[in-house]
Amino acid sequence: MKHRTLASFGVLMIAAVSLASAVIAGQSPSAAKPAAPAAKKWTAPRTPDGQPDLQGYWTNSTYVPLERGNNVTKAFYTEEEFAKVIKEAAAREAEQTEPGTIADVHYDFTQFGLDRSQSAFVKNDLRTSMIIDPPNGKMPPLTPEGQKRAADRAAERRRAGATTDAVQNMPIGTRCLIMAGSGPPMMNAGYNSNYHIVQGQGYVMILVEMIHDVRIIPTDNRAALPENMRQWMGDSRGHWEGDTLVIETTNLNGKNPYRGSSEKMKITERIARVDANTLSYKFTIDDPGTWTQPWTAEAPMTKSIGPIFEHACHEGNYGVRNTLAGARLEDRKAAEAAAKKTSN
Amino acid sequence: MRTKLIIAAVGVGLVMTAVAAQAHHAFSSEFDVKKPLVLKGTLVKWEMINPHSWFHIEVKNPNGEVVEWMVEGGSPNSLIRVGVTKYTLQIGMELTIEAYQAKDASNTAVGRNFVLPNGKRLFVGSAGGPDAPPATPDTVK
Repeated sequence: MKHRTLASFGVLMIAAVSLASAVIAGQSPSAAKPAAPAAKKWTAPRTPDGQPDLQGYWTNSTYVPLERGNNVTKAFYTEEEFAKVIKEAAAREAEQTEPGTIADVHYDFTQFGLDRSQSAFVKNDLRTSMIIDPPNGKMPPLTPEGQKRAADRAAERRRAGATTDAVQNMPIGTRCLIMAGSGPPMMNAGYNSNYHIVQGQGYVMILVEMIHDVRIIPTDNRAALPENMRQWMGDSRGHWEGDTLVIETTNLNGKNPYRGSSEKMKITERIARVDANTLSYKFTIDDPGTWTQPWTAEAPMTKSIGPIFEHACHEGNYGVRNTLAGARLEDRKAAEAAAKKTSN
Repeated sequence: MRTKLIIAAVGVGLVMTAVAAQAHHAFSSEFDVKKPLVLKGTLVKWEMINPHSWFHIEVKNPNGEVVEWMVEGGSPNSLIRVGVTKYTLQIGMELTIEAYQAKDASNTAVGRNFVLPNGKRLFVGSAGGPDAPPATPDTVK
C-alpha cells in the first residue's frame, strides 16, 4: 500500500497559516516570513440572540505534542519544518510493524481511516508544543504533595494487582467510563477527536465524540455547585469576555485525574472564533497541590465533518470480557500445570 | 465458495502496517501474540459498533466443518464520516484476514490485515480506494 502523504500547502495556505498562528499565539513565529498582505478583516458571526457563534463540528486532532521535545529549542516551526514534521509523523503512523511482536497485535488504523492524516486535523498551528506557559513548553515541576500523590497512586495500582485481575483494575477508558478527549481540558484523543458545539440561550453544549460525553455549560451567571458536589467532568460555568467564551471548571471528583492532578484542580478554558474554519482553544491549569505554578496550553480546533455518529462505547466493548476470560483461562492452565507437577 | 482455515505462523511477505495511535485498550492482553492466524472465509455480518467494529466470517475447517469467527476491526465513526455504511461491505464477500486469536481460545481474533480476493488490502476508510485523497471537510459533504 502506498503511504499517504499530505498535500503540500499552496502559497495562499502558507499565508493563511502565518496569519492564523500569529493571531492564535498573540506573537509572531520566531522565523516568520515577511507578512502577507492583510486579508479582509474577518467578523465573528453571531447567534440570533447575539452571542458569538462557536457552533459547528470541530476537531482538535493534531500532531503538536503537549510538551516540547527535548531536541527542540524554539516555540514555532517554519512552514517548511512543520510540513516535514507532519509528513514524517504521518508516515510513522502508517509504517509497518514486525509480525509476531506485541506492537503487531492490533487492527490496522490505516485500513479504518483512523490515522490522524486521513481525517481533518489542525494544519495552521506551527507551535512546537501546546504548552505556552511556562515558556519552555514543559509542564512545571510537581510539588512535594503532587509527587507523594503520584507515588501513592502507583502503590495503590501495585496493591490492586494486574489489570487483568479484576475489571476494577482496568483503565477507566477501557471500561468506557470516560476518555481523554472529554476533558476538561479537551485534548485530542488519538482518533475521533471531534466536538459538536451547540448554543442556546444561557447554555453552551459541547458533545464530545469520544465517548459520547456531553458538557452542558451554563452561561447565565448561576451559582456554582456546592463544594461537596463532585462530578467526573467537574462543574463548569461559562461567561463571555468579548467574543471569547471563558469556562471555569471546579468540583472534579478526582477519578479522572489529568496528568496527575488533584480534585482541587481548576481549569479555565478560553474559546473564540479566529476565522471561519478555526477556533482558538486555550486552557490554564491551576492546581497548587500538584504543580509549582499554573500552566497554560493552546490547542486550536479546525472544522470537522458532521454529524457525529454516537460512540456508544459500552455497546460493543467485548474487549473487557475477552481479556478477563483469557486471563482466567491462563490462570486455570497454570493451576493445572502446578497440580500436575505436584502429583508427579 | 471455497473457504479454508489456515493456522500458520505469520511469515515474511505479509503486508503489515503500524499502529502508532492511541488504543482504547491493551490488545496484547486480549489477543495472543503467539497465536497468529490466517482466516479465509465469507463475511456473514459486520457489526459497525463502538469502541471497535466486528467482522463475522464463516470459515471452513480442513475437515469440512464450517465455523464462525468474530474478528475485531476499527471504530466505525471515522468510516461513517466519509460515507461508509453497513451496506458498503457486501455480505458473502470473501476475505482473508491475518489475525491473532483471543487468549480465551474462542473463535475470536483481532484482524491485523483484511485482504480482498484480488490481493489488495481492504480499505474501508475511503470509497475511492487506497490512493484516494484523505477526507476533509472540503471533500465530504
